[in-house]
Amino acid sequence: MGIKRLARDAVLTAAALTIFIVELQLPELVPIPGVKLGLANIVTVTALFTLGAPDALAILLCRILLGSLFAGNLMALLYSLSGGLLSFAVLLLMRKLLTKKQLWVASVFAAMAHNLGQIAAAILVTSTPSLLVYLPVLTVSGIVTGLFTGLTAQYAVGRLKNVLKK
Amino acid sequence: MAKTGTWVTIILVLLVLAIAASLFLRLRPAGGTIAEIYVDGRLERRVDLSGVTVPTRFTVETERGVNVILCEPGRIRVESADCPDKVCVDFGWLQDSAAPIVCLPHRLVIKLTGDAPIDAEVG
Repeated sequence: MGIKRLARDAVLTAAALTIFIVELQLPELVPIPGVKLGLANIVTVTALFTLGAPDALAILLCRILLGSLFAGNLMALLYSLSGGLLSFAVLLLMRKLLTKKQLWVASVFAAMAHNLGQIAAAILVTSTPSLLVYLPVLTVSGIVTGLFTGLTAQYAVGRLKNVLKK
Repeated sequence: MAKTGTWVTIILVLLVLAIAASLFLRLRPAGGTIAEIYVDGRLERRVDLSGVTVPTRFTVETERGVNVILCEPGRIRVESADCPDKVCVDFGWLQDSAAPIVCLPHRLVIKLTGDAPIDAEVG
């Protein structure tokens, strides 16, 4: 890995971490586990669509790991990882199906996948299948937040493509 | 490449379905007054909330942390907890709802059931 690439990915990881930590300070919107804006995913989506899968995955994993360390919530690592990896897989799949102007669509489906992965992990960990009742609510929240992060990422990709690719 | 309109339609259909399902689940009563408290998927305690006459408090302690649970006639809540996110505390009262209280960091779940209270204990 070249120094330039390393530095660029590190800056993006730092940006994602900052967004993640700031979002933690915001008051909860609803007391449902798993409902959050997921603003740090703007960086994941932007990285994937400008730099490609390996860099984006590295940034995502570093952010999840350091994020749960900094937040003092290592127990949440499992949920973040399962949600993060599933949504990344969906992003990869959707990337092939979309034009540049439809980038936000990938983010919407990725957000839904993220919440699905989190519920699956929670069901496995707590052995409580009835947690599935949260799936519809989390799907609604995933669509809304995914739309927001997706549109933001789409604008960011448009602006940053040339800067980041250098 | 599918048209943007196709994607918007797919997303809208999913959104409407999800909203309908959430409303359906929210309006559907739990159909029971037995509160079951699970830790790690194991039944830790059963409380018949219809049998509670005075507010009763007890703690559920695991190696991951402590949740203080408060029972009142017909309802139950997590009063305080030392988990990092406090989602379980913010949930508030669980009363006639199919959605369980969850404390993911402590792997604790509280849900209402209508099962016949075979080994029900109060308090």
